[in-house]
Amino acid sequence: MTGPRTVASVTCLGCGCACDDLEVQVREGRIVDISPSCPVGRGWFGDGSVPDAITRGGSAATLDQAIAEAARVLAAAAGRTTVYVGPDLSTRAQCAALAIADLLRARVDTATSRPAATGLLAAQRRGRAAATLGEIRNRADVVLFWAVDPGARHPRFFSRFIDAAGTHVPAGRAGRRVVSVTVGSDRGPPGGDLELTLSTAEEITALSVMRATVLGHPLGELPADLQQAASAAALLKEAKYAVIVHEAEPGGEQPDPLRAEGLIALAQALNGPTRAALSTLRAGGNRSGAELALTWQTGYPMAVDFSKGFPRYTPERRALDRPAEAAAVLVAGTSTELSPEVAAALGRTPVVVIGPRASQTPFATRVAIDTGVAGIHEGGTAYRTDDIPLPLRPPLPGARSAAEMLHTLLAALQGGRKR
Amino acid sequence: MKPVRLRLVGGAVHDPANGVDGEIRDVCIEDGRIVASLPDGAPTLDARGMVVMPGGVDIHSHFASSSCNHARRLIPDEHAADPAPAPALAEDELPARSGTGGTVPSTFTTGYRYAGLGYTTAFDAAVAPLTARHSHSELDDTPCVDGGIYVLMGNDEYLLRQIEAGEQDRARDYAAWLLRSTGGYAIKIVNPGGVEAWKSGQRNVTGLDDAIGGRKVTPRAVLETLAGAANALQLPHPVHIHCNNLGIPGNAGTTLGSMQALSGRRAHFTHLQFHCYGGQPGQGWTSAAAQVIEYVNSHAEVSTDVGQVMFGPAMTITADAPVEYLLHKSSGRRWTNIDIELETGCGIVPLAYKDKAAVASLQWAIGLELFLLSADPWRVVLSTDHPNGGSFLSYPALIQLLMDRAVRDERLMQVNPKLLAGSALADGLAREYTLNEIAIITRAGPARLLGLGRKGHLGPGADADVTIYNREADIAKMFSTPRYVIKDGRVIVEEGQLRRAPAGRRLRVAPEYDDALLPDLRRHFDAYSSVSFANYPVQDLPGETVPAG
Repeated sequence: MTGPRTVASVTCLGCGCACDDLEVQVREGRIVDISPSCPVGRGWFGDGSVPDAITRGGSAATLDQAIAEAARVLAAAAGRTTVYVGPDLSTRAQCAALAIADLLRARVDTATSRPAATGLLAAQRRGRAAATLGEIRNRADVVLFWAVDPGARHPRFFSRFIDAAGTHVPAGRAGRRVVSVTVGSDRGPPGGDLELTLSTAEEITALSVMRATVLGHPLGELPADLQQAASAAALLKEAKYAVIVHEAEPGGEQPDPLRAEGLIALAQALNGPTRAALSTLRAGGNRSGAELALTWQTGYPMAVDFSKGFPRYTPERRALDRPAEAAAVLVAGTSTELSPEVAAALGRTPVVVIGPRASQTPFATRVAIDTGVAGIHEGGTAYRTDDIPLPLRPPLPGARSAAEMLHTLLAALQGGRKR
Repeated sequence: MKPVRLRLVGGAVHDPANGVDGEIRDVCIEDGRIVASLPDGAPTLDARGMVVMPGGVDIHSHFASSSCNHARRLIPDEHAADPAPAPALAEDELPARSGTGGTVPSTFTTGYRYAGLGYTTAFDAAVAPLTARHSHSELDDTPCVDGGIYVLMGNDEYLLRQIEAGEQDRARDYAAWLLRSTGGYAIKIVNPGGVEAWKSGQRNVTGLDDAIGGRKVTPRAVLETLAGAANALQLPHPVHIHCNNLGIPGNAGTTLGSMQALSGRRAHFTHLQFHCYGGQPGQGWTSAAAQVIEYVNSHAEVSTDVGQVMFGPAMTITADAPVEYLLHKSSGRRWTNIDIELETGCGIVPLAYKDKAAVASLQWAIGLELFLLSADPWRVVLSTDHPNGGSFLSYPALIQLLMDRAVRDERLMQVNPKLLAGSALADGLAREYTLNEIAIITRAGPARLLGLGRKGHLGPGADADVTIYNREADIAKMFSTPRYVIKDGRVIVEEGQLRRAPAGRRLRVAPEYDDALLPDLRRHFDAYSSVSFANYPVQDLPGETVPAG
């Protein structure tokens, strides 16, 4: 056992903000504290313990046995395989999973939530106006939170990007006006300078009214709620630099599928009279990394089907929407984000799991290889919600590497050849 | 280890860096390098009747960056229309990767297509330092080409503060630190001050002496500081400049002003075509190519790549975000804008250049005028600013326009003539590029401008990157399907088919700087950056450093 030590500048993947300034205290091979304190970060790191098992057909196996069996199961189903790329992997590990998918002519699915997918599709139709997180801190004098209170799921968002002083907002929070928009049960943050409450039925109309206001279209008489929305839009329009913040992986009810496009259109329109950006919050892990790597390797950010021997885009028909169609499945990363229905279907399919806590997968696996977690045990790169890549400084290195295991499987599928 | 040898026998060799112009001779390769001779009995490749050149070197392209990836994401329609199954490589190779094409192909496909065109080195010309780690990941997945990145500095907050404070030495040290931290190859300036102006509400700068975002700093000062830094650091490539006012009628004045501002100092002015417009905003466009190229011709310290526009689909990707907003408003097309904290911006608009459109036709003509009026092909080299003026896949068609006047004149008859009156091209330019001049503008010249001593030539010690073409009357066909491509001494394209896909090598610089910079820089990061100072530099950089010039 090693003595107590502190690892500095650690990147936390507890949420998409990916704070990379953490000090992590390690004692006797366990994480005992993180600083600055953050409940989401604490939950992400835990004490850093992960299982270290390798199983084949549910029984302990050697690594060679497990890799050989995984290669056999997956190769036998080539052309009818699904590869799921989970968010708790480094980008290098995700790339290895994609190489396997290409080789197996598999269908690829990711942890991209339905609202996030809706946003990606909307951005493909329209483009988007966005900014890195630091631009919020440095420039935003009006920040509008649309149906999201970052407090619970992104606890340091306010202290890092709203309260802190920026190059163009030296007074920090005092130099910004905050607009808090609640939509149905999705509340905006407390303490807004302007607060707006909309029913889910009014949401899209309100976004249209706001865009019309920004574009200077005459609106005539509006009901009180929509008049308030127009006032919020006027405030955005008066900003030097306006930022609209929303959440692509909301915890509660599914948002209106038109929300993302409405917000994109509003942020784009604001760039006529002023400057503006839409900031999209994401849940934890390296989910942006999976989408970015898919994009550079295939041209598409999600829902890629290699079954014809080249990437095809099937966002309307994602692989895990029909898990029973796969003859075999590779889960790269953990399966914890899969729905109970998908998990039940996978339990009836030959599944190989390579990732953190693979041996504790809640359905039967043909092969399970436990690995470390990206950023806790494994280094490499992960991406923040704003697509900024960050290095991972694992405070507990030494666990089996997911990237290495996936590369080993890839080499086995390539007939043992290693580049 | 037994040396790996290959003798390329009997081709017409075009190696202008070594004064060889179509001479029939052998080229000898041993262990990845060109050598003067080989023992008898070394393996041979029959190049008789063929044309032998060094591998192509792309001095200015956008193919491996966070911005490119945003652009890829924007065009699923183009990708669907251009599927790229994995090429069938030699049996002892690992399987190749599939991908998609379009104006911004996926990474593996980009590497394969560059190789298929006979290009073996390429540089991504615009990388925000904060996203350098991303570019290296893309380059890791771009096989067949050696390459590197140019690092965006012309709108950098810390740099602007140093200039404003008169801290020129610190500005230079910061530039060196940025290059080292990002694994960069050259200093890139895009619309100096204009991107910061866009982000700060000023929308843009209009000329060299505008104040940038209310500061006591001008675009001129940015140019002078970074050109000075590149030269003081003895970087292999001088500062690489995208001037102010790109795409605006009348911008030739700004371009000439920028060149004059750096008079006597080495500087590379990129995609010059986009900066050679006469006329005035709102009052029409004319060609100012003749005036600008005259200046280039008479100033040996200036180099340029043309940024030719080719008719067809394109993707505009640039850090010059204010220009992209205007393009979005005028074209009504999809528009992505990403503001990148403390450094730069990014704008993206898909576009098509149509020969029925007057402005696109003028742009096409201006590019050709720059080529055809150039007095020194070593300093006026080929680019389409891929994919901004057109895909790199259009290089063979461009080479044909330069080499074959009949084809060019015929094409000229088909374009919209409205804005061409009085242009040199419309008046008739008889020049036809020779094969040797093509070898200069596509490999020897770019390699020399980049300070790559082992690229762009076939003398002893050079990297054995060689392209062998069948001699064809149809120049476009000849240059689009090389018979053989050799990378590091191994044949990667045979009979026009990709057979090997080696990983590309990374090319970067590592200039020295004074550590006294660091405490102040760290304070700046702590105050304003969302990324920790310790996590900003890219660690474990692959590849090799190219020494100072």
